[in-house]
Amino acid sequence: MPPAPPSSQTCAPDIEYRSVSFAYNGSERRPVLENVSLTVRHGERLGILGPNGGGKSTLLKLTLGLLRGHTGTILVGGVDPVEAQRRRLMGYVPQRVEAELAFPISVRQVVSLAAAIGVPAWRRDGADSRARAEECLRLVGADEFAQRPVGRLSGGQLQRVLIARAIACRPRVLLLDEPTVGIDVVGQKQFAELLGRLGAELDLTIVVVSHDIRTVVAGCDRIACLSRTLHFHAAPEGLTPAVLAEVFRHDVAAIYGDVHVDAHAASQCTDPSHRHARPGRGDAK
Amino acid sequence: MRTLDYLLDPVLGPLYWPGVLAGLAIAVLCGALSGLVVVKRLAFIGQGISHAAFGGIGLAAILGLTARLTADGLADAPLGGVPQFLVVASFCLASGLLVGVLADRGATREDTAIGIVLVASMALGAILLSWAGTGLAWESFLFGTLYNVPLGEAVVAMLMAPALLAVLWAIRRPLVFWAFDEPVAATLGVRTGTMKMTLLVLLALATVVAMRLAGVVLATAMLVLPGAVALRLSSRMWAVLGVSVGVGLLGVLAGVVLSFELDLAPGPAIVAVLATLFAGVRLLGPRQDRG
Repeated sequence: MPPAPPSSQTCAPDIEYRSVSFAYNGSERRPVLENVSLTVRHGERLGILGPNGGGKSTLLKLTLGLLRGHTGTILVGGVDPVEAQRRRLMGYVPQRVEAELAFPISVRQVVSLAAAIGVPAWRRDGADSRARAEECLRLVGADEFAQRPVGRLSGGQLQRVLIARAIACRPRVLLLDEPTVGIDVVGQKQFAELLGRLGAELDLTIVVVSHDIRTVVAGCDRIACLSRTLHFHAAPEGLTPAVLAEVFRHDVAAIYGDVHVDAHAASQCTDPSHRHARPGRGDAK
Repeated sequence: MRTLDYLLDPVLGPLYWPGVLAGLAIAVLCGALSGLVVVKRLAFIGQGISHAAFGGIGLAAILGLTARLTADGLADAPLGGVPQFLVVASFCLASGLLVGVLADRGATREDTAIGIVLVASMALGAILLSWAGTGLAWESFLFGTLYNVPLGEAVVAMLMAPALLAVLWAIRRPLVFWAFDEPVAATLGVRTGTMKMTLLVLLALATVVAMRLAGVVLATAMLVLPGAVALRLSSRMWAVLGVSVGVGLLGVLAGVVLSFELDLAPGPAIVAVLATLFAGVRLLGPRQDRG
């Protein structure tokens, strides 16, 4: 595929949260999110880490415009989430249970639909959207099972298809919800590599939401810890057991015995000069 | 063959043809929606809408728009049954929307809402029909009266089939995306509420026509069985659509023939054919993993 055009002019943040608070059913006393302010720059790979019920999926759904009624401001590409939906600025990879897997549809059709979603009804898919779909299938390595019905894929295969679909409409931001649930350690490593490659080749901003520290440490170059409010955000190297204990309200080091090793390994395998050189990071594999 | 004797008879034939043609149109209408109904688990709402049609018939009867039994014999519904059709279709739509309103934001569970609207409409229909005094047995609405379909209604059904296919074609991309994955469709600007509403409207229209064929009770069969059969035979989207329509057409034709040959009511005969087909593919067919 052609290299992504340089985007040095895009200094404006891709996602901006300003004092975002949210409570389900408007119950002020038990907010799920409280005063969250965070800026995601273009080309960045941000991991949002937090315990179950910490509000990270809520924040993701607010960003995607699937949930409304927050206070404060959320801007995606400079516009509110609903407008961002209309402009198709966001590619969303949900937890895989949400799709209707009994649907009689092939892998290629799923990705083609997303590539051609803006094509007017009276026109056929067109060569460019077909080419785009094939390119996305190839990028995630789903081209070899493109004919297969989506209901007959393994977990890892399905996830790659959902990623291909998310990037097929040329989004600016890719948002992933718990992408490594049920995926083994080898799969997680491949997933982290895939994210790095996609971010670089497609000039994407990536946000990964997960409760799994390995996922965010390996795949991201900045981490935000969210448990109702933001506790910490910095490069993975700064993630200490003390911070994690504060966020998860447990002795995380005991649960994730190898956290520090992982974080350390991640900082080594991701050369800092690559992570900070933007745009057009050269660490694509 | 008695079937051909009846259909080609110069006197009797014209009485039966509108019903047969309406039946084929219904097979296309319901077959085209059937795959979606099965995959999106809309069978129960289809059932709710078809039972709501009974309430609509009661309303049409009160307004004097249904057929009625007079001293001179059976008087057809006025204006070829078109006003009756419109009243029943509107009533079905309103019921569908009422289910939507009741179930909005989980105030009532959707299946509960459907159950309530379903029985309330049935009761309303029975009450209104007895007040209206059409002289017709209300069972005829419950189980269908295919061979009494007035020509006007058969024409409406035959015009609706291509219209429905055209609508499905026009919204094919957002519709399929929505049906496959609603939240992700929403994030790409697909109006998910509009999609659901459109499908509900199409379902209501198809149900109202199907009711003439198989009656209120059996109309759901036309919406569920062809798709259930097709989904067992194929996992390709357009093949499922084609097979559903084909299965619907086969069911109607075979059911009509059975009804003439064995002197059966056509609605139950059609449903019996479709159910047998499903049993056949379930037992002998290739797919073991769904529906």
